[in-house]
Amino acid sequence: MAYLELNNINKYFGKTAAVENFNLQVERGELVSFLGPSGCGKTTTLRMVAGFETPTQGRVIINNEDVTHKSPNQRDVGMIFQSYALFPNLTVAGNIGFGLKIAKKPAEEIHKRVQDMLDLIHMPDYGNRYPYQLSGGQQQRVALARALALSPDVLLLDEPLSALDAKIRVSLRSEIRAIQQELGITAIYVTHDQEEALSISDRIVVMYNGHIEQIGSPFQIYNFPETAFVASFIGTLNSFNAEVTDLTNNVLRVGDLRLTTAENLEDRKVGDKVMIAIRPERLNFSSDLKKANLIDCTIENITFLGSIVRIQVKVGDLRLHMDTFNNPFLELPKIGDKAEITCSREAVIILQH
Amino acid sequence: MNWVSKFRKIPFWSWFWFILGVIYFVLPLYATLDFSLRMERDTLGFKAYAVAFQDPAFLKTFSYSIMLAILTIIVSVALVVPTAYWIRLRLPEARRIVEFITLMPFVVPAIILVFGLIRIYSSPLEIPFTSIVLLQPLTNFKLGTNILIIGGYVVLGLPYMYRSVDTGMRTVDVRTLTEAAQSMGASWATIILKIILPNVRTALLSGALLTFAIVVGEVILASFLGIPAFGPYLFLLGQHRAYEPAALSFTTFLLTWAAMGIIQLVTGGQSQAAGAH
Amino acid sequence: MIQTALPARKEKTPPSKLKNWIGVIPFFLFAILFLFLPSVRLFIGSFTDNSGQFTLDNLVQLFSQQVILDAYKVSIQISTVTALAGGIFGFMLAYSVTVGGLPKPLRTALITFSGVASNFAGVPLAFAFVATLGRTGFITAILKNVFHMNIYQSGFNLYSFIGICLTYMYFQFPLMVLIMAPALDGLKREWKEAALNLGASNLQYWLKVAMPVLLPSILGSMILLFGNAFGAYATAYALTGGQLPIVTILIGAQIRGDVLHNPGLGFAMAMGMVVIMAVSLGGYSWLQSRTERWLK
Repeated sequence: MAYLELNNINKYFGKTAAVENFNLQVERGELVSFLGPSGCGKTTTLRMVAGFETPTQGRVIINNEDVTHKSPNQRDVGMIFQSYALFPNLTVAGNIGFGLKIAKKPAEEIHKRVQDMLDLIHMPDYGNRYPYQLSGGQQQRVALARALALSPDVLLLDEPLSALDAKIRVSLRSEIRAIQQELGITAIYVTHDQEEALSISDRIVVMYNGHIEQIGSPFQIYNFPETAFVASFIGTLNSFNAEVTDLTNNVLRVGDLRLTTAENLEDRKVGDKVMIAIRPERLNFSSDLKKANLIDCTIENITFLGSIVRIQVKVGDLRLHMDTFNNPFLELPKIGDKAEITCSREAVIILQH
Repeated sequence: MNWVSKFRKIPFWSWFWFILGVIYFVLPLYATLDFSLRMERDTLGFKAYAVAFQDPAFLKTFSYSIMLAILTIIVSVALVVPTAYWIRLRLPEARRIVEFITLMPFVVPAIILVFGLIRIYSSPLEIPFTSIVLLQPLTNFKLGTNILIIGGYVVLGLPYMYRSVDTGMRTVDVRTLTEAAQSMGASWATIILKIILPNVRTALLSGALLTFAIVVGEVILASFLGIPAFGPYLFLLGQHRAYEPAALSFTTFLLTWAAMGIIQLVTGGQSQAAGAH
Repeated sequence: MIQTALPARKEKTPPSKLKNWIGVIPFFLFAILFLFLPSVRLFIGSFTDNSGQFTLDNLVQLFSQQVILDAYKVSIQISTVTALAGGIFGFMLAYSVTVGGLPKPLRTALITFSGVASNFAGVPLAFAFVATLGRTGFITAILKNVFHMNIYQSGFNLYSFIGICLTYMYFQFPLMVLIMAPALDGLKREWKEAALNLGASNLQYWLKVAMPVLLPSILGSMILLFGNAFGAYATAYALTGGQLPIVTILIGAQIRGDVLHNPGLGFAMAMGMVVIMAVSLGGYSWLQSRTERWLK
């Protein structure tokens, strides 16, 4: 039995559907990300778990209890907001102890719990500061402590790092992940940042236009995107319309180019149109001739991105991006050079729609 | 959703306070309008308005006030725009002091201001420690009192005019605009007249309208300086007439309303408060 | 881009040279002539006796003459009452159109109306209240004819303390609305949600978060209302014909004809008033800056 269940959730604002047919089971201690562009319904779904929105249809079940119509202050759910939402009139300790005070816990217990939480977020001496005296990253850590102080059943994080700058974002996200795993708390993490979702989650729910595109581990989502949207939203991607030409050898045709795939073509017929995708890092210069696909191309553009170098090549009318690791001792080709690049069968993915 | 929670969705107390507020706003206006229409027995009519508007003294004082308002607006625009512009462009360190000065009318209300003005300008202006008279007392001749009252009105309108213009200049970022214009070889006159002024025109308009609203009905400065303006006229009329002052009060209200309404329209809702009490 | 643009900007504004102040000379000249000199004249005057010698006697008399003390007392009473009542009423109104759940157009209407009403003062306002609550006023007549209540017989008088307060309210509470509406907008929706999320009720949110956050702003605004009423002259003068002994009216009489028989004392009274106004404006901006620190 899953710890948190979202059963066939639908949410309409007037006639527009914000979320449709949303089904998800989250195990205890799992961190699941909702990933998608803004307006995809991920925050609305999260707010339904928190109780700030009521589903038009469907049920929210936490720990075997149907909480669909419970008000937010009746749920054992902690929430972290993008804007931190610390109470400006209270100190850090006052903020962290707020929920405990509302719950009328004895002062001593509150004090101890607050100190434990401050230790947890590595800010033991900040109890008497006010939020405006803290940096954004510190404020968000306090918000985390505030949400965790009540030992909620589920922790909800609504784009918690979006307001922070890049460096803090990376360090704080690993801190959040570490705390979540240490406490074994069930969490839902809303983000539009694919890198963030990939690095922090046990599973990712990719959403688009109010519905789920794909649910899977970061590994599955990245390597085996099921839909064109997932493939294009996550990472960079070369995608083409292709035609099935040979069922026995799994050959597809893209323009003049022929590519072999490892995917199952049993359900298809010769002449079927499909959408295929190749990740840039799966393409290599032709040092390895054992690979199935060999492509003749012309170098069109080279972009230096630091750890990797992105090379744009032209094959007939097609343009492909390939990524190679930066190596200071390897000479890069020049623009206009002819080259051969390869990729394995497995690199050629067929997208469902 | 059951009946109780549905009922709770209606913000009862919000409506309660709002309606109470509307009543407080509207009642005195309605009463004034009602009263002003009753000049003739047993019938409602605009007689009071007709009588009031036809009074030559009304026309004289009202047009005088409008002229004062226009002059005040011109002087205050001429004073505030270059100053605010210069501060944004060259002298950010003067911002605090200038802002402080523009807030002074809140500390020195009109009655105190006129007190000081009268006391200082009712004696001849001499070069200190000599007896060489630079200027006869301003309060002694007509042009002098007019200078004083316009100066006083500019002071009273300063908080609104300055804030309005300064906000306008911040939103359009006059500094970047100026640098862009300079890089294309525009002269200073061109920059100010063709770039800056058109870009702060809504700010100017709302500052000007607020100034207008303050000046047209103003009574303190005008009566103490002995200026034949609309405010003192209305006050005196109130001493011995009943209906015409009500008619003129209601008209004044409509004028204020029109000024505020236009400000609301052009600024999109960032209304400001003046206080010419 | 930004990193290269910044130093270039700095070069364009060298540490301001003296000649940069030339641009603000007209403004300062104006301020000196029409603000600074008059104020200084009052200031010097309040420390000068009739023969032009320095004295502290005027200040002493300020606290010993019953007329003056009474005037300050009444002024302070009126200002306090209308600041409190206008403040509370204005806050409730601002609340109702911001977070109180009323439709958006009502907000625009209320804000515009408040802009008008806070500017609608002086003689016309006095006449409007005469038409409303005067002896033959609209409300007075309704109460008499419909409810058989003669408010003038039961002690009400528009030309008295209570009447002045009711009239001042007309520009006091709209000013509160204008100041408080943005402050209430500053309450973040997330604060309420965070409070609910942590188990608080709506009431607990208001008591423990919203009110404490707004309190400096509310107090500051009320102080501003206090000063607003304290400095008012025309409304009271037009309403009572100069009969109500408040500070501004006494000063007005002093300007007209030295009713205190001591010009220095008149200056001292004016100075006392400026001090009170300055303290109220200072209090307002101090409290306002506290709130801004929180709401940013």
